[in-house]
Amino acid sequence: MKRLAILLAVGLMGSVAGCAANKASGARMPCPAGKLCLEWGNTSDPVSLDPHKTQGTWESRIVNDMLIGLTDNDAEGNVIPGMATSWETSPDGLVWTFHLREAKWSDGVPVTGEDFVYALRRIMDPKTAAEYASLLYFIKNGEEVNAGDAPPTALGVESPDPRTVRITLKHPAPYILQLAKHQTMYPVPRHMVEKYGDKWTDPEHYVSNGPYKLVAWKLGDKVTIEKNPLYWEASTVCIDRVNFYPTEDPGSAERQVRSGELDYQGLRLNRIAYQKREAPEYVHTHIYLGNAYLPLNTGSAKLRDPRLRKALSMVVDRDFLSHDVMLGIGMESAYNFVPPGIAGYPNPPEPEWAAWPMERRQQEARRLLAEAGYGPKNPLEIEIKQRSMDVTATQASVQNDWSKIGVKTTIITAETQIAYQYYRTGDFEVGDAGWIADYNDPMSFLYLMHSKTGAMNYGKYANPEYDRLLDLADNEPHPKKRGEILAQAETVMMNDNPAINLYFQIYGNLVSPRLTGYKDNISDTHPSRFMSFKDASCKAAGGDSTPTR
Amino acid sequence: MLRFILRRLLVAIPTIFVVITVAFFMMRAAPGSPYSIQRKLPPEIEENLKKKYHFDEPLIVQYGRYLSQVAVGDFGPSMKYEGREVVDIIKQAVPTSAKIGLTALFLSLIIGIGLGIIAALRQNRFADYFASTIAVIGVCVPTFVTGPLLVLIFATNLGWLPTAGIGAGLKSFVLPVIVLTLPAIAGIARLTRASMIEVLNSNFIRTARAKGLSGSTVVFRHALKPALVPLMGYLGPATAGVITGSLIVDKLFRLPGLGKIFFTAGIQRDYTLVMAIVILSAVLILVFNLLADIAQALMDPRVRLT
Amino acid sequence: MSRQPSAFIPGSRAGAAAMESAAVQGRSLWDDARRRLFRNKAAVTSMIVIAVMVALALVLPFLLPFKYNEITHTDVLKAPLQSGHLLGTDTLGRDLFARILTGLRMSITIGIVATAVALVIGVAWGATAGYFGGRIDEVMMRIVDVLYSLPFIFFVIILMVTFGRNIILIFVAIGAVEWLTMSRIVRAQTMSLKNMEFIESARATGLTAGQIIGRHVVPNLLGPVVVYITLTVPGVILTEAFLSYIGMGVQEPRTSLGRLINSGVTNMEQAPWLLIFPCIVMAVLLLALNFIGDGLRDAIDPKDR
Repeated sequence: MKRLAILLAVGLMGSVAGCAANKASGARMPCPAGKLCLEWGNTSDPVSLDPHKTQGTWESRIVNDMLIGLTDNDAEGNVIPGMATSWETSPDGLVWTFHLREAKWSDGVPVTGEDFVYALRRIMDPKTAAEYASLLYFIKNGEEVNAGDAPPTALGVESPDPRTVRITLKHPAPYILQLAKHQTMYPVPRHMVEKYGDKWTDPEHYVSNGPYKLVAWKLGDKVTIEKNPLYWEASTVCIDRVNFYPTEDPGSAERQVRSGELDYQGLRLNRIAYQKREAPEYVHTHIYLGNAYLPLNTGSAKLRDPRLRKALSMVVDRDFLSHDVMLGIGMESAYNFVPPGIAGYPNPPEPEWAAWPMERRQQEARRLLAEAGYGPKNPLEIEIKQRSMDVTATQASVQNDWSKIGVKTTIITAETQIAYQYYRTGDFEVGDAGWIADYNDPMSFLYLMHSKTGAMNYGKYANPEYDRLLDLADNEPHPKKRGEILAQAETVMMNDNPAINLYFQIYGNLVSPRLTGYKDNISDTHPSRFMSFKDASCKAAGGDSTPTR
Repeated sequence: MLRFILRRLLVAIPTIFVVITVAFFMMRAAPGSPYSIQRKLPPEIEENLKKKYHFDEPLIVQYGRYLSQVAVGDFGPSMKYEGREVVDIIKQAVPTSAKIGLTALFLSLIIGIGLGIIAALRQNRFADYFASTIAVIGVCVPTFVTGPLLVLIFATNLGWLPTAGIGAGLKSFVLPVIVLTLPAIAGIARLTRASMIEVLNSNFIRTARAKGLSGSTVVFRHALKPALVPLMGYLGPATAGVITGSLIVDKLFRLPGLGKIFFTAGIQRDYTLVMAIVILSAVLILVFNLLADIAQALMDPRVRLT
Repeated sequence: MSRQPSAFIPGSRAGAAAMESAAVQGRSLWDDARRRLFRNKAAVTSMIVIAVMVALALVLPFLLPFKYNEITHTDVLKAPLQSGHLLGTDTLGRDLFARILTGLRMSITIGIVATAVALVIGVAWGATAGYFGGRIDEVMMRIVDVLYSLPFIFFVIILMVTFGRNIILIFVAIGAVEWLTMSRIVRAQTMSLKNMEFIESARATGLTAGQIIGRHVVPNLLGPVVVYITLTVPGVILTEAFLSYIGMGVQEPRTSLGRLINSGVTNMEQAPWLLIFPCIVMAVLLLALNFIGDGLRDAIDPKDR
């Protein structure tokens, strides 16, 4: 309590009575008697709840609770049957046939294969302008349809009968089962979308086929979803209502979790160590499929020069970032783009300079700068645009590293959404991004740097050789060979330095110890339907939460 | 009086018109657009999007279209939150902002006037310094410090109040109101003190004193009303300001208020939403200034409405 | 019509409104005013405090063993008095004392420059409108009305996205908004001045309007303008703090009090010193400025006698 006393000295209030942390706060959002309500700190307001328009994890977290694709997540994010109870594939791996269960939208209209066909055509339709559409280019004619060169009906998806969906691929893509539980492949209620257009995501019109349905969505306040009684496993769902809050001030949200007002809040990396010390029973950390990198805009006037990109990358002290700035939470320094530990992927070797001592790296970087025409008399000036949610310290540390080779850096902070907007529009020199794999496959990282990826290829990196290798891997049915080709592609890309890799991610979540069915997993996926509370009589399918570590 | 109001309303129309014009062209002159994310998309998609929002037309035509829509009260759909009407977004946000803002304004008036009177009555003596110091402290610590500190004390440690959101009814509003009240006190106290001193030195108060009336009677019966007249000039724009919300308080307490929505909309170039909020705040300012002038005239016979 | 207090943020608005009503009587004998000012203990103390702060901010950074932007990897988040850091270090191991001094200097600079911008535009605009009156006055003040009606945040966003974010721009942005009130005060004052005998006689000697405004009107506006300035500086410092909070203020590794406080808030539980010390400095600075402003107003305003 000494700290509190010091804080008080800053000068507002006179006295504070008992200071014992009051965990059972009366400030929890009111919940109807006999019901279970989950209060979820969700970091930001969704811009959309249309699965074809969402991009952020804070959006997909909500949509995942409402819509179910051909496959689904279990409590740990593994593939389990979803709308499809079974599926088979042709010998060449190009045709996948999914057999659907009988299910209804939350307004009672049956879900049919046509809803899937409609949804896939919609996301690929250029009129929809879905940014994630490129994820589905492995479907036959996907790219052509999305580019407007073929009508949506040409897409390799059909529904021979209401309970069957058949998808034809351009090339073998074993990860289709992973993607089938991703929002891009979710069905949408055709009858509502056709009737209400953009407004189908209004709470009055949003119908879903999953465990929850949309009840309210008030900007800046919260999104509320409630149990969908028509969901086929509704009887196993314990949580009756979930509120998602745009907790943009993480400090405040963390306090709310600890006071019992919220049940969950993702932790910023620089807060993990502190919360581990203060509230170990709340903190969950786990490795996950994510990296943190600074995209370098290869289209910008200065960073067009690969020598500059290399120089800037070499001198960043990753170890200081991953160990000291992150306060020893178990982060791993990154010199590659794809995190280690992805199935069937031989990670390529780190660049040669990674093993050099810092002095040598700096020397080499200065040489590269001089070669590009920069030096003490004509210092390189660089601007970093960072996300406000991120750790300021990371950028300042990078700035410090760069100052040692005579680079002058300006850091600009923008609100998360806005920062991403800068990145997507190419309105930046150095960005600040992280990527969380959509599915457990190296392609899920590597496609970001494909020249055809569009807005998500923030740095507008384009190397025909890299593109060619990725395309080659796509047509390689043999998993091991495919992995090798991809690793080769990564090496090509890393030589061009379109990004400065900083560290591989772990996540930290602050989770109420009351919550059950919360499972730590590599994809940081936590569906509400597996959860319940310790003191509730309803036992959910998720069982106990994983222990904190 | 009626003539005055009519005249002011007539002047207000061109003012609003100019505000709309200035804001429209400033907003459009700023780089970026609500859809610039899609720069990498195939050109025909961009064409479709442009057509949908008429970005393909000359700016002056878009301006004309916007004016004609606004003239009939159509502020259009948000360009960012697809499928949402701008008016609906504002309608959802205003009550929260107004409730908190007006309560804070009311509280700061009471405290500020009180401190101002004390300071004026004990001019340049200890009570004056004391009251002025209390009033000024509120404005010397930024709201984004007082907010988290109060939360730490009253929510995290004592558990009396919620830390954020509007879920807990009246309790949710306590801390935001305090945080908004503190910095507003100083200005009000300062105004009250100055005008109170002036009134207390005026002839009619001296006469009242000479008649042997007690101190408090003089202050509250005779001096208070004229002393508060200048405050009206402050109150007009202040009222308009609080209804349109505070970015900081919205952010700190996760309130669904207009302040944060406006800021985000501006950054995202949600043209329609920004314009609607700009128009709303301009109208509010004009209206409340008019009301303030009327109130001044009613309170002080010396003020003439021209 | 007076300045819209955009949701209470900058501090001195109401004081400025008071000034507007008091402006007409704002001339007084300077000797008299000075004597009264120096009798005001709070104001005198405040002046000393400010003088000391400015001196420290200017001189000390050169004497300290640590630079404000020097990252020491081994000294992350040291508490005050540890490892030779008087006020501790921040999340990157930078010396907080050095950073506060730099931040103080930055905040004071922003306060002065932005106020100067407001002063120049406001005085020129207000004096011209007030002196000429009539249609010119009507048009000029209508422009002020329109600008008043545009929310502050709107200006901030437009300026920042249009011109990028640099310090000069922050000065100009703040000053460009603050001048509105100044122009009103000056206009009211000028209107009361322009029919006075000495102006008439100046006119009779054949001086041009510009010369009269420059030589006779502006110098006589000094009283209320000085008071307004002392109330604007703290307002501007707070506004800069606000901009820092929304991520549009001074950029790293440069810093300002507002920026320091903002990062202090983020770390207040694990490193309370990062909040406390910058906050104390800011509060003392603003308190002192406010007291000087109040003292000046009392001294210059004849009502107080």
